[in-house]
Amino acid sequence: MSSNIRPSGVFDTSYAQDIALNRTRADKWLSNGLFLLLLLLPLLSSDGPLGLNIVPTLWIGTLNRIAIFVIAVQGLNVLTGYCGQISLGHAAFMAVGAYTGAILGRQLGMTFWLALPIAALVTGLVGLIFGLPSLRVKGFYLAMATLAAQFIIPWLLRYPLEPLTNGSRPLDVPVPTLFGISFAADGAMFYIIIPAAVFLSLAARNMLRSRVGRALISVRDNDIAAEQMGINVFNYKLLAFFVAAMFAGIAGCLAAYNTNSVSLDTFLLDQSIAMLAMLVIGGAGYPLGPMFGVTLVLLLQQIIIPSLIPPLNNVLPGLLPFINSVNIYAALSPLIFGAALAIFLVFNPRGLAHRWEIIKIAWKLRPFSH
Amino acid sequence: MLYSAYGREGTYKYLNHFSYAFSLSKGRGEGFFLTTITTVYHNNRRIITYAIYAIGLIALLLLIVPLLGSQRPYRLVQSTVTGVLVGGVYALIALGIVVINKASGVFNFAQGWMMLLGGLVFYTFFSSASSISPLAALVLSILTGLMVITTNSWRALRNPRSLAIAAGIAAFGFIALMIGGDSLKLLRAIIGAVYGAVLTGLTIERFAIRPLIGQPLFAMVLMTLAISELLHGITQMIWGSVEIPLQVFTGLSQLGIPMPFRIQATETLGGTIIIRTELLLAFLLSLLAFAAFVGFFRYTSVGLAMRATAENQKLAQSVGLRVRTILAVAWAIAALLAAVAGVLQGGASSLSLNMPLLALSAFPAVLLGGLESIPGALLGGLIIGLVQEFANLLFPGTQAGTELAPYLVLMVVLVIRPDGLFGQRRIERI
Repeated sequence: MSSNIRPSGVFDTSYAQDIALNRTRADKWLSNGLFLLLLLLPLLSSDGPLGLNIVPTLWIGTLNRIAIFVIAVQGLNVLTGYCGQISLGHAAFMAVGAYTGAILGRQLGMTFWLALPIAALVTGLVGLIFGLPSLRVKGFYLAMATLAAQFIIPWLLRYPLEPLTNGSRPLDVPVPTLFGISFAADGAMFYIIIPAAVFLSLAARNMLRSRVGRALISVRDNDIAAEQMGINVFNYKLLAFFVAAMFAGIAGCLAAYNTNSVSLDTFLLDQSIAMLAMLVIGGAGYPLGPMFGVTLVLLLQQIIIPSLIPPLNNVLPGLLPFINSVNIYAALSPLIFGAALAIFLVFNPRGLAHRWEIIKIAWKLRPFSH
Repeated sequence: MLYSAYGREGTYKYLNHFSYAFSLSKGRGEGFFLTTITTVYHNNRRIITYAIYAIGLIALLLLIVPLLGSQRPYRLVQSTVTGVLVGGVYALIALGIVVINKASGVFNFAQGWMMLLGGLVFYTFFSSASSISPLAALVLSILTGLMVITTNSWRALRNPRSLAIAAGIAAFGFIALMIGGDSLKLLRAIIGAVYGAVLTGLTIERFAIRPLIGQPLFAMVLMTLAISELLHGITQMIWGSVEIPLQVFTGLSQLGIPMPFRIQATETLGGTIIIRTELLLAFLLSLLAFAAFVGFFRYTSVGLAMRATAENQKLAQSVGLRVRTILAVAWAIAALLAAVAGVLQGGASSLSLNMPLLALSAFPAVLLGGLESIPGALLGGLIIGLVQEFANLLFPGTQAGTELAPYLVLMVVLVIRPDGLFGQRRIERI
């Protein structure tokens, strides 16, 4: 790993230095400064108390969405990137978290701050149930089991639990409050979602560096060999499922309170595939991977594709007569998304995070190439 | 799947004692919350497993039998007949997945979109000759010709003889697609669908699957998902989100065949059993296609070569088989199967964006029959069709048949018998 490459003269003389997240002072200033800058953004938007209009309000909402997906994809990274178990049911776990949080807040009048951990726990338990087949199956077969979860969970939410979940219709979610402050605006939710995303990303990163993380990686690399070394493969797989589902639950609950409504349509198989794609594009198995992947894919979906549509509307129907310009809007999103995923799989299978590490090494070794 | 080369019981026993001792002596490390549960489970594995199966079976019977008893007998027969007929198309989709999996070890999640694309290509050429765009026909024929000659390597483009073959293929396709006459529209549609399917299969294999040879399974699974997104985009772009009833079976009523068959059984079963002619014909045609492909794998040299490649790629290469070409042929055949399934399903109901979702319920059929088994695909497809119809009958108004039942079957298969009914058991070594 590239994190071993440091400025010359920096040596570890204690264990605390060895495990430090930020090893040099420059790293520390950079990461803390970036975090502070991020926290300042809502104050600079037109919604902020200062009334400045430097940052568009749209950005704050986009950043919230990105952070929510970062949490979910960090969970998927624990399961798929570290432990090597493919999950096609991550969106269903998000749905469980979202609906649990929503029902606790709406029907039971529970405060958001209590509903969030309970939603995470419930989702984790549901994840454990669907992790149970990992006792007998692995690899592709386990992916099929999670595919089953992707269909069974929404069905349960839609039909048998309809009195609670409102079925196919969207469910309203109350606004979280703390000491009389209402978190209704995007700029306010920002201060819940961004710290949560940063905290959970750090938690996932710390897990990777601990005994648990090393065990998960050994299960990913060769589960039979891991078993022979005395690692309880089943326990660690279940743990990975639990953690992944918990992260998804937190993300789902935050998403529900962010938009103040839950609808099953946002947790379909497409969303699970999209999250897997974000993970691969960002780099599976790298702590930074989810951030890169989610940012790229969401920017692609929300900014680049809408800006591509008008020029394509002018050019394509003339170029290829069998294309109807009405269809371009709906077709472009899956087309570009699929193409991006395929290109990354062929040309950059280890993702953007791997590229980033290469760039970092090249920067540090400059002017020498190796 | 977890058993090692030493046999599962032995390995587990040894490891359990080890981890158990470890957790007691140190009180941390391996001993987190589930160790005791899993240790108890491993030590009494067989008894607990059978007890759980028995409880599950009894619970299922207690749930199903009263519901079945309250139904009128003719409705049970009706559901059985419809289930079997619907299962025929599932068997075709499952066969396509099995063919690819046998040849290259990739599970194709994009089969449903290949099916829709095949059906839509068929639909495009299933119209009067004047409305067919000459440009589309030309592009389709030329691309197909080029992809066919370059299956083994791009160097074929420099070989005049190969180029002549490509020109021949393209010319035949273009002329066949452009000849006039409404009576020939079925022929045009079939040729167009075959060209489209071959082009789809070869393109996918060449540009998406071949670069990933040697990559982990995760990459392959994601690549088929990426292909399905791409095919989604392409079908949206060209045809839009339409719902097209494919009029392939309308000629039957002119031949004097009754459109739904009605079997009067009021005395014996208490009602009339209705068999939709489109479904029946689709079922018979899918059985025919199934038989044709099984015969292809058993009796032709290409089919035999494909089976040999599936068995062991290196060995096949060492006896002189062109493994790359064979993998490409497998994808082309799977695309053809998908197109046949798409046309039959489109004729029985309609071509719409629901079709890929329908193909998802063929995945349980594949796993139920076994990933490598061709007869398993047929049996699995029929069973899934039956399960769907009965779930719809017993739990009306909840979409239990399409949205729940196949996936419950999938979970049960994965837990009880992950290799399916006829699949090969795999023993893994480090």
